[in-house]
Amino acid sequence: MPPKDIDRFERIVLPHLDDAYTLARYLLRDQHDAQDAVQDAVLRALRYFETYRDGDARAWLLTIVRNCCLTRQRRAQVERANISFVEDVDVAHEGRGTDARAIEQSERAALQRALDALPPEFREVIVLREVQGLSYREISDVVGVPIGTVMSRLARGRRRLASALGFDAQEAG
Amino acid sequence: MTCAQCRELLDAYIDGELPGEDAAAVREHLASCAECAREHELLVATSRRIGETLVRYQAPDVLKARIRIALAQPDPLATETPSSKPVATRRLALGGLGIAIASSILTFAIVRNVSSDRSLTDEVVSSHIRALMPGHLTDVVSTNQHNVKPWFNGRVDLSPPVPSLDSAGFPLIGGRVDYVHGRTVPVVVYGRRQHLIDVYAWPDTREHRETDMSESARNGYNVIAWHAGGLSLEAVSDLNRPELEQFVKAFSAAR
Repeated sequence: MPPKDIDRFERIVLPHLDDAYTLARYLLRDQHDAQDAVQDAVLRALRYFETYRDGDARAWLLTIVRNCCLTRQRRAQVERANISFVEDVDVAHEGRGTDARAIEQSERAALQRALDALPPEFREVIVLREVQGLSYREISDVVGVPIGTVMSRLARGRRRLASALGFDAQEAG
Repeated sequence: MTCAQCRELLDAYIDGELPGEDAAAVREHLASCAECAREHELLVATSRRIGETLVRYQAPDVLKARIRIALAQPDPLATETPSSKPVATRRLALGGLGIAIASSILTFAIVRNVSSDRSLTDEVVSSHIRALMPGHLTDVVSTNQHNVKPWFNGRVDLSPPVPSLDSAGFPLIGGRVDYVHGRTVPVVVYGRRQHLIDVYAWPDTREHRETDMSESARNGYNVIAWHAGGLSLEAVSDLNRPELEQFVKAFSAAR
């Protein structure tokens, strides 16, 4: 790839690294895996840069980041299912433990736990909307589902988190 | 508009995603229905709290450096993660990446040093400098010690320490195998801001006290040599001396 294409790639893609890392971090829940996934994603983005048409670079990169995260998770699941090494369990525990220690405030901890407990398809739309501020159209592109599905997942995810925050306690009865 | 219709549109309404007429209909309903208005308030509060509470992370400097290094390669795509290709070991597939340590801005190295052997230290510094040149690959790049350590199995005849030093501010970047002084040696690479750290390990062939430590400098690179667990270790870096000492201290303590 000619240097000027690399330059253009860097100008378009690198400004969105924080967003890329944030999504990976929430999807994988481990800072090391998130870093590896983002690096995967950037190189994959470079490989398919020809297919990028001027438009929403952030959503384009996030789509690739999400795919890299899913690939990584699927592979990890297969590995865990096929070969059970004691060390693998340690790896998983360490990663989460480090994250858990970083969460100090109890409300933040409660919300984080509730978010982690959400099915992944709810968690990703919550992060894309509430943390990263994507439009429904953009979320629909990144996740690859119709806008109506984005809407209903977001609604269900929010209501579960509202319960975790105790916001609807008075409504329960 | 019924309450059920209103509830269904509330999320899109607070997100500003409803077309004008629908938004107007919801607004009208909310003005006349206390229960839906309460639900609306609850949803707004929930959304605000989620947005305020959840962290928007910043990509770590080391990640940015890794990406810049990869993109600076003559052929960046040749450095693509081995996890997307068939790999020799299953552990590598978990998170290993092949990238090149190429940039001169990245210069933090730990090198196995036998202090009485000047020529060996010279070789180690040369090896470190070579590693900073474009095209010299870091063979496995991963921030996970459980990916890096097993990677050395079968490649070198000793198992180098690969402690996790994140909390001390020295994130793991990866490892490689080098040929120094007639021997294949493992090199573990750490980061510190824009600097790289290589750690070289040899079997200890002489009598040493574990507290023995020597420091020297070559061509502007700092070198610290010490002994631990039957190994001789050497650190080479252009990082300032105090921070390199801090690294060695953390490295030794973590073993």
